Amino acid sequence: MERHLPVFIFIAPFLSAFIVPFLRKSRSATQLLTATALAFSSFCSLKALCVVSHSGPIEYALGGWAPPYGIEWRLDCLNALMCFLISTIALVVILATGPSVKKEIPRSYTTYYVLVLLHLTGLLGMALTHDLFNLFVFLEVASLTGYALIASGDSRRGNVASFKYLLIGTIGASFYLLGIGYLYAATGTLNMGDMGIRIHAVIQSRSVFLGVVFVLLGLLIKMGLFPFHGWLPDAYTYASNSATALIAPLMTKVSIYVFIRIFGGIFDRTVLSHFHILPVLLAFSAIAIIGGSVMAFLQSDLKRMLAYSSISHIGLIMLALSLNDPAAWMGAILHILNHAVMKAVLFLAVAGAAHTHGVTHLQDLRTIRGRMPFTLTAVCIASLSMIGIPPLAGFFSKWYILTGAFQSGKPLFVIIVLLSGLLTALYFFKMLEQIFFQKDSGERKLAEAPLALVAWPFTLSIGLLLLGFYAPAIYAWGMQHIVPVVFV
Amino acid sequence: MNEIQSIKPLLAILVSSVACILILFSNKSKNLRETWTFLAAILKFGIVLSLYPAITSGKIIVFRFFDVLPGVTTSLRIDPLGFYFALLSSFLWIITSVYSVGYMRTLEEKHQTRYFASFALSLSATMGIAFSGDLLTFFIFYEMLTIATYPLVVHKETPEAIQAGRKYLVYSLSAGAVLLGAIAWSYYETRTLTFTPGGFLGSIESTKTIMILFVLFIYGCAVKGALFPLHAWLPSAMVAPTPVSALLHAVAVVKAGVFGVLRVIGYVAGPAALERAGHYHWLTCVASFTILGASVMALAQDNLKRRLAYSTISQLAYIILGASLLNVNAYLGSMLHMANHAFMKITLFFCAGAIYAKAHKEKIQDMKGLGYQMPLTFIAFTLATLSLSGFPPFSGFISKWYLCKGALEGGHWGVLAVYLSSALLNAAYLLPVVFVAFTKTGESSVTRDEKPYALTAPLYITAVFVILMGCLPWLISRQVNLAGMASVSIFGG
Repeated sequence: MERHLPVFIFIAPFLSAFIVPFLRKSRSATQLLTATALAFSSFCSLKALCVVSHSGPIEYALGGWAPPYGIEWRLDCLNALMCFLISTIALVVILATGPSVKKEIPRSYTTYYVLVLLHLTGLLGMALTHDLFNLFVFLEVASLTGYALIASGDSRRGNVASFKYLLIGTIGASFYLLGIGYLYAATGTLNMGDMGIRIHAVIQSRSVFLGVVFVLLGLLIKMGLFPFHGWLPDAYTYASNSATALIAPLMTKVSIYVFIRIFGGIFDRTVLSHFHILPVLLAFSAIAIIGGSVMAFLQSDLKRMLAYSSISHIGLIMLALSLNDPAAWMGAILHILNHAVMKAVLFLAVAGAAHTHGVTHLQDLRTIRGRMPFTLTAVCIASLSMIGIPPLAGFFSKWYILTGAFQSGKPLFVIIVLLSGLLTALYFFKMLEQIFFQKDSGERKLAEAPLALVAWPFTLSIGLLLLGFYAPAIYAWGMQHIVPVVFV
Repeated sequence: MNEIQSIKPLLAILVSSVACILILFSNKSKNLRETWTFLAAILKFGIVLSLYPAITSGKIIVFRFFDVLPGVTTSLRIDPLGFYFALLSSFLWIITSVYSVGYMRTLEEKHQTRYFASFALSLSATMGIAFSGDLLTFFIFYEMLTIATYPLVVHKETPEAIQAGRKYLVYSLSAGAVLLGAIAWSYYETRTLTFTPGGFLGSIESTKTIMILFVLFIYGCAVKGALFPLHAWLPSAMVAPTPVSALLHAVAVVKAGVFGVLRVIGYVAGPAALERAGHYHWLTCVASFTILGASVMALAQDNLKRRLAYSTISQLAYIILGASLLNVNAYLGSMLHMANHAFMKITLFFCAGAIYAKAHKEKIQDMKGLGYQMPLTFIAFTLATLSLSGFPPFSGFISKWYLCKGALEGGHWGVLAVYLSSALLNAAYLLPVVFVAFTKTGESSVTRDEKPYALTAPLYITAVFVILMGCLPWLISRQVNLAGMASVSIFGG
C-alpha cells in the first residue's frame, strides 16, 4: 500500500474533478465532494510524511516504465511536506469559502469547483513528479486553471487581470519549456535524478547555461519575484475573494518548491554558483523585499496590500534560498509553510469581512471594529506573525534565515532580513491601527461572517500559534531529513 | 552551581496570560473582570515570593522549553537579578491594580476590558523578561512586551495618542530588530546564548567584534530604558492613562530595558571581555549626559506627567551609569536603585493621576492650593521627592550611597559629581510642585477630599514603602543581600 501513496495523494482530486459535473443539482454536495477529495489527499500526504521520514523516499514508476525512460514520481520529505501543505490549506479554504462562493459565483459554481480541483491536481502533480517535462505539463494544468479561477469573479477587471496573467504566465511557461529543451539536448534525459548525474559532465556547455537561465526565468515569473511580479497584484486584487484565498497561499509557493527541487536537488547548488546567478537572485530578492513592502504601505485596497506583501515575502524566501546556507534554506522552507498559513488566514478574513460588511479598503475596516471579534483576532495573530513577533510562527522562520545569513558571511543581507520585519510592521500596523484604534461609526452590534468563514480562519490562526511552538522541532526534523537531500 | 528544575517560573508567567483571556471573556461584568486581575496579581506575587528561600540559599531555578538550535535551549532561569526584578514588578502590580480600578472608574474611561487585558499580558511579558535564561527567550518576551503595551499607549484613541503609539512602535520595533541582529551574531560567534554570570562574549577573539556587539545590545535595550538619544518616545507616551505611566513607564517597560542593560553587561558581554575590549566608557558618558540633560529638560516642563517622564529618563540613566562602571558596589547600587526608584516614581505618578482624576489638572501652574484639598497625597509626593533627591532616611539615599561608593572605588570623580549635582536638580524640578500646591489661593473654603480610597490608598502604601526601604534594616539588608549575590556572581569576591 505504502508504495502507492504518491498516486493516492494525486488521484482523489483528479477523479473528483470529473465527478463534480454530475452533481450539478446540489451546491453543498459539490463542495462536500471537493472537500472530501482534499481531505483524502491531506491524510495520504500526512501518512506519506510519516512513512518517508521513517524509511526513505518512495519511488513510483508510472505505468511500470522504469526510469529514466518512463515517468517517475518520487516522494521524499520535502514534497510530502509540500503535498500536505497544498492539500490541507486547500481543504481549509474550500470549507471556509462556501458562503463566499455562493455570493460571488452564484451560477457557475460547478465550473468553479472543477477548476479548483484541476488546479490543485496540477499543483500536487508539480510537487510529486520527478520528471522535468511531466512537471511542465502539471505547471500548465495549474496555470490554465489558475487563469480561469482569477477570471471567475463578477468584476470585469478580473478578466483583464487574468488576461495579463495569462500573457505573462504563458511566456514564463514557454521559457521553462525552452530551458528543458536545452537541458534535454545537453544531457539526453528528463528524469531529475538522472539529469543530476549527467549534468556535471557537460556543465561547461553553452546549452546547459541557456537551459538553466531559461528554466530559472520561467520559474521566477511563475513565483512572482521582482522584477517579474507585474501580474501578481492585479490578479490577487481582482479575482473573486474565494479564488484569491485559494491561489495566493499556494501557487507561488509551489513554484518556489520547484526552484528548490531543481536548483537544490538536481543541480546540487553548484550550478547556480557556477554560472554566477546567486548575486543576481540576491539583488532581485532584496529589491523585492524593500520595494514590495513600500508598495504595500502605499495601498489602500486590502487585497492589493496583501498582494504586495506576498511579493515582499516571496523576496524574503528567495533571499534565504540564494544565501546558499543550510540554516537559511530550512528557514526558507519553514517560511513557505508559515507564509502559506498566514496568507490563508488573512485572505479568508478579508473574504469574510467583504462578504458580511462589504469591506474592501483599509478605511472600511473601522466600520467593523468590535463587530467581528473572532475574525479580527485571527487577523491580528496572522499580522503579528507576518511581522515576526515571537513566539508566533513567523518569528522562527525569520530567526533561522537570520542565523543562516550570518553563517553565509553576507552582513548586508542580515540587515535586509531585519529590515523586512520592520517594513512588514509598517504596513500591518497601519492596518491594525485602522481595525482597533480609529474612531468608528459607533455601531457595536456583533455581526460576524457566516460560521464557516469565521471558524476556519480562526482555527488556522490558532494553528499559527502551534506552528510557532513546534517550529524548532520542524526545523530540527528538516535539518535531518530535508536539507541533506537538497543540500549536498 | 546547583539548579532546581521547577515549573514555577512558567506558572508565574502564565498566571496573568490566563487572566488576560478570562478578562476578555468577562467584559459584561465589571466586578468579575476586576476579580481576575486581583486574583492573578496576588497569585503571581505569591508564586514569586515562594521562590525566595531557594534563591537566597544560592539555588538557580530552571525550566527548559525546547532546543531552538544546537547549543540554544530556550529556558527560564531564575537567578538573583531576575528574581529581584520579578518580585518588584509583581508586588507593584497588586498595588497598581487597586489604583487602576479607582482611576479608570473615577474617570469612566472607555475600553476598560482591553485596558485590563493588555495590562495583564504586559505583566506576563515582564515576568518572562525577568525569568528568561537566555538571550532568545529574553527577546521573545521583550517583543511581546512591546506589542502588549502598544494598546495601552494608544488607549485614548485621540490623534495625539495614535501618534504617540506610532512613535513607540517605531522606536521599540527597530530596537528589537537591532537586538535580534546582535543575538544572531553572538550565536554565530559563540554558539551559545545562555546568560552566564561574567558573560560569554569573552570567547570571541576580536575585540572589535565584542565592541560592536556591545553597542548593538545596548542600543536594543536602551530604547526601552529611554537612554539619550533614544528616549523621545517616553514623554510622548505619557498620553496613556496614568496607571500605565505609573507601572509600565516607571517600572515594568522601562525597567525591562534597564534590566536588559544589566543583563548584557553582567551576563552577556561580561566585565572581563569589556575590560579587554576597552572603549566601553562611552556608555558612562552617554548615561551621565542623559542624567543631566533630562534633569534640565524636566525643569522646563509644565505638564506634571511630562516632568515626571523626564525625571524617569534621568533616573534610569543612573542605573545604566552604575552598571557601566563595572564594579561590585556600583552594580549593586544599580540593582537597588531599580527597586527604590520604582517605589518613588510610582508614588509620584499615582499622585499625578489622583490629582488629574480628582481635579482634572495636568499643568503644574494650575495646581495652586490643591495641597489643602488633598494634603495626604501631597505629603506622599513630598516624601517621594525627598527620597528621589537622595535625602536620608529615605530609600533613594541607600541606592545612591552604593552608587557613589562604586564611583569612588573606581576613581570616577566625574561620575560622583554627576550623581551629586543631579540630586540637586531633582529637588529643583520636583519641590516647586509641592510649593505651588501649598500656595494659598485666597479662596476661603477648601474642603478636604481624598476619596475614593482605591485611588489614594495605593499611593500612601508606596510612600510608606519609600520610607521603610530607607530606614528598616531588616528590609534593607535583605535587598542588599539579594543584589549582592547577583553582583558578586558577576564580578567575583
